[in-house]
Amino acid sequence: MTVEAMLLMTLSVSSVTVLAIWCYYKVFTTD
Amino acid sequence: MAQEKQEWGTRLGVILAVSGSAVGLGNFLRFPGNAAQNGGGAFMIPYFIALLLVGFPICWAEWTMGKHGGQRGFHSAPAIFGIWGKGSTARLLGTLAVLLPLGVYFYYTMIESWCLNYAWQYASGAMSVVKEAATVPEQVAVSAELFDAATGSAANGLGDVKTPAVTFWLITFAINIFFVFRGLSKGIETFCRYAMPAMLVCAVLVLIRVLTLGTPDPSAPEQSVAAGLNFMWNPKFEALLDFETWLAASGQIFFSLSVGFGIIINYASYMRKKDDVVLSGLTGAATNEFAEVALGGMITLTASVVFLGVAATIANTGGTFSTGFTALPVVFARMPAGRLFGTLWFFMLFLAAITSSLSMLQPAKAFFQEALGLTHRAATGLVAVLALGGNVFVLWFSEGLTALDTIDFWIGTFLIFIVAMVQIICFAWIFGIDKGLALAHDGASIRVPRIFRFIMKYVSPTFLLVIFIGFCIDSVPDKVRAVIGDEAAVEVAWNEAASPAWTAEVRSRIDAEDSEVPAEVIGLLETPAEGEAPELPNVFANSWDGILEWAQEVPGWSAGSGAPLTTSPKPIAPDTMAIYAWIVILTTLALLLAVAVVGQRRWRAQGLDIDGRLPAEEA
Repeated sequence: MTVEAMLLMTLSVSSVTVLAIWCYYKVFTTD
Repeated sequence: MAQEKQEWGTRLGVILAVSGSAVGLGNFLRFPGNAAQNGGGAFMIPYFIALLLVGFPICWAEWTMGKHGGQRGFHSAPAIFGIWGKGSTARLLGTLAVLLPLGVYFYYTMIESWCLNYAWQYASGAMSVVKEAATVPEQVAVSAELFDAATGSAANGLGDVKTPAVTFWLITFAINIFFVFRGLSKGIETFCRYAMPAMLVCAVLVLIRVLTLGTPDPSAPEQSVAAGLNFMWNPKFEALLDFETWLAASGQIFFSLSVGFGIIINYASYMRKKDDVVLSGLTGAATNEFAEVALGGMITLTASVVFLGVAATIANTGGTFSTGFTALPVVFARMPAGRLFGTLWFFMLFLAAITSSLSMLQPAKAFFQEALGLTHRAATGLVAVLALGGNVFVLWFSEGLTALDTIDFWIGTFLIFIVAMVQIICFAWIFGIDKGLALAHDGASIRVPRIFRFIMKYVSPTFLLVIFIGFCIDSVPDKVRAVIGDEAAVEVAWNEAASPAWTAEVRSRIDAEDSEVPAEVIGLLETPAEGEAPELPNVFANSWDGILEWAQEVPGWSAGSGAPLTTSPKPIAPDTMAIYAWIVILTTLALLLAVAVVGQRRWRAQGLDIDGRLPAEEA
């Protein structure tokens, strides 16, 4: 696996995961 | 309005229902193939840009429009469009936002029933026939035969061969109507509250299985998890210079989020005045993105490369159906505990699909209720009759899945652009961006960042228009030809044997990456590099005069008989199935327009402010 592939995969997957976690955290804490 | 009042039970309930509507087969089957064919990891750059410039803005606009419409007592897209677009034109255009989910339902339930059928076949052990074939090509052939049997795509009608297809469709149809009849909170919300977490668990289990496969065949070290991930994510940055990459990425965002689909606007209309739409909309979109990128982007192609290799993956994962129902059964046939994971995977796809299809009938039901003054029971009955008619049409005319493809293209793809465009123009221009955002912030847990005022007003409509024009140029001509036929169509072929000197010259220019060689010529002569899909030219969509001119200037060209490039007439006859599908689409649209006209008269007679002239409190 190339470094660029690893980097793009990690960035993409982590960004959507962090966004989803943040959103649900806000939903549960501001309800 | 004398209607039974419906609303969501909880905030999480509406988020899961919207997420369930958005997360579907496209996340797991369409996204990975789309990314791999359009720049791999580089695809994510236009993908995220489109998410920011089109996905989030239209999502927020749609949630706000829906909630505000609900505050004025309306739940159907035509009525809500009338308020935001301040008049009859927007109201009639709103019928497209009812036609869209209803039309997609006509065929989507079929695909959903295939998933249930496959999950059952894995659970019962019937799919072992794929395992019994020896080689990958033989297994692919068996898998393709099973797909034809499961879908009935070999012939029209409802013969014995279609018994499984009809049986699983009936089960799926009954489940859908049952939950829609149960109502918004008791039916759709309750189902999604259990189905969405269950879907997530199934997907994560399959993901863990795929990522721990290692290199199952020591004699084929190139077929590893790392190679599979590399196939999907290795960036080809030169693809960013290709408009098609941007078109594919924007289209993926657009279709995946279910914006412009007519569903969010209906769902949001059942929210209370102080409910939040900004965070809820963002959370729904984030759930969809997680399912698409973190699950869909890691599972499908990785598993395929591990067991089939790169070449077979390219050959068998071009489209959503070939990936899901032909390639993956071969993957599960070769995977340890493949029966268990096959069951989990197809059950997960079934859950993803049914949470989407449940949402597709609700907009039409709400429209019939408020336009015709029907009760919940009567409106559900009317929607069920229409859905049944559409389903039977697609089930009967299943040969080559042409009727399904035609409805999918014109309603499930083309129309989404139109509806989204109408929505963002109504929100940002006719109603007014500042008033719109003020309504979005009423009760919101977070604020829409200020930059989005500019993006929603100027960038999103422009971006959408550019994608739409590109989409029309790229895809519409072929689909129009399928319906009306084309007497003047020609088939173009390269006659390599007739002029080896010319062919050798062109091949050497391709090898030297000569940018002046037309892409169509490369498509016919070049052998694709490993890991890349062959780029076949669309001979009907391009002007071949210029290409012929170029070819004649290359040394070795022989102008007489035996020329390297040959064209021969190949008229395209009008496709009967496509014409039938158009009749169904237009008949349904005519019916919905008639209901909209009746509804408009009825609302006016009741003295309702249907053009949004008064503030919400006075309406």
